[in-house]
Amino acid sequence: MCLLIWLVIDIFLPCVPVSTAAEPWPENATLYQQLKGEQILLSDNAASLAVQAFLQMCNLPIKVVCRANAEYMSPSGKVPFIHVGNQVVSELGPIVQFVKAKGHSLSDGLDEVQKAEMKAYMELVNNMLLTAELYLQWCDDATVGEITHARYGSPYPWPLNHILAYQKQWEVKRKMKAIGWGNKTLDQVLEDVDQCCQALSQRLGTQPYFFNKQPTELDALVFGHLYTILTTQMTNDELSEKVKNYSNLLAFCRRIEQHYFGKGSSSIRLS
Amino acid sequence: MAYAKFSGAPLKVNVIDNTWRGSRGDVPVLTTEDNTISQPAKILNFLRKQKYNADYELSAKQGADTLAYIALLEEKLLPAVLHTFWVESDNYFTVTKPWFASRMPFPLSLILPGRMSKGALTRILLTRGEPPLYHLREVEAQIYRDAKECLNLLSNRLGTSQFFFGDMPSTLDAYVFGFLAPLYKVRFPKVQLQEHLKQLSNLCRFCDDILNSYFRVSLGGYSSDGDATVHISVTIAISQMYLLYFPQMDDNLRQSPQLPPRKLPTLKLTPAEEEMYMVAYLELHALDMNLMESLPLDLSCGVMVNIDSCAKQLDLCSDSLDFLMQIQKNAF
Repeated sequence: MCLLIWLVIDIFLPCVPVSTAAEPWPENATLYQQLKGEQILLSDNAASLAVQAFLQMCNLPIKVVCRANAEYMSPSGKVPFIHVGNQVVSELGPIVQFVKAKGHSLSDGLDEVQKAEMKAYMELVNNMLLTAELYLQWCDDATVGEITHARYGSPYPWPLNHILAYQKQWEVKRKMKAIGWGNKTLDQVLEDVDQCCQALSQRLGTQPYFFNKQPTELDALVFGHLYTILTTQMTNDELSEKVKNYSNLLAFCRRIEQHYFGKGSSSIRLS
Repeated sequence: MAYAKFSGAPLKVNVIDNTWRGSRGDVPVLTTEDNTISQPAKILNFLRKQKYNADYELSAKQGADTLAYIALLEEKLLPAVLHTFWVESDNYFTVTKPWFASRMPFPLSLILPGRMSKGALTRILLTRGEPPLYHLREVEAQIYRDAKECLNLLSNRLGTSQFFFGDMPSTLDAYVFGFLAPLYKVRFPKVQLQEHLKQLSNLCRFCDDILNSYFRVSLGGYSSDGDATVHISVTIAISQMYLLYFPQMDDNLRQSPQLPPRKLPTLKLTPAEEEMYMVAYLELHALDMNLMESLPLDLSCGVMVNIDSCAKQLDLCSDSLDFLMQIQKNAF
């Protein structure tokens, strides 16, 4: 059975047309994520916002569609994913490459060393911030009980909602254990987040964006994560407190929010 | 032929002109904690704390860059390195397993290498083996592609300078060295990543520089190139393993005394003596890791004090200890 599936994939995958550069960006490009109000979780929201910010920065129109089964629709199992023409691409990395193949790129003006730095910082965010978000959502019992379980399975009837939530939790815990975060306490995780924010803050300094005048995909990614952390209500607010310690990061988020998402007043609370 | 030899795996931290050897790793006989994620933060934490004693070399931005590059290495390069060492069956059975097994007490030599190999494979699959990569072969292709890209990025960043942040080595140099040196020097049957690395001449030069400056004792006393290469390779392989498995480096770093820069003494040992020294060191090291922590392999001044205190505390009377003390007397 598995062999059959594998054969099918092997035969069909090379036949997918790769003429992405030929078509311009269509008007009806859509981005899929989970249900905004009831279902989506912190980490997925952050990723989705990062992609939206990136596309806004490239001036590419995108429509956001919320579906309960977005995670299962995605080719890689991760949200968000975009549906452009007859292509489906998920996650920020591949989306950036896809957009580049279409001729739009934010990081063309960077030299080699800066590109290396940008990639390194993106990995830092993924490594630390994203993993910390996942930890907080799935391995911290208080949050899991109050928020995550309830939200994750909310579109589904009982008992499916519980089963899916437990399955996902088991998966995430397994992954955490494999990379060594299984034995960390919440305080250690928060300290790591602090380190990461400090590094980002030091790198940003007083510049408007990470690579001076022009925003890049790194700015989009950082914005996505930080903004979500700042504006999401969690059981304990320690995560957002850590970010709030760094005023230049707050200013950075507000700037991008106002510039690219056209809001008159910022929804980032200062207290 | 001088085969698998251990030596300690130092992590150098450079603060102004104070260079000292951080804690040493050994095959974790008791625990197999994987604390690589927490280490970078702890390293930098420690560096920051040093700021209260003295200025430190790295600017704030460089500290941030270090953290970012370490994350890049762990994400892109580590899976491929793990794969080369532990999962690729040719490499694992001919090189890695005999090395580690030969230095572990029986019956751990039967269990631990297998467990480390499985751990490596699990880690690779869980972090990179997600759909649409359904087959291990595709995952392998992807991680090697990422690793090559990462090496190119490192090469671009290093450029023509001697170390990553100017003229003095820093944590990032140690980290990169820990990853690159085993890849560079160990003679594996299957070597695609090694060939790619060899094409990046500035990274090779970087490894050679560090080897020559900090691993000098290891180089002495060998007549044939083959022996030296194997010896260096094991030395470095242990650094790499150290990065994967050494627990809680932070506290140990703080406890290590700050020593002024040391010149490695020109002690000449015959190969046989060197071998005995290594064995003795290892025996004592295995007995009490904390005690032997600041006992470096390069026979500098700190050794004398530590041997005596070590002997007193362990109440040991063994050939190894006698041999070590004799070496010291001859040296100083």
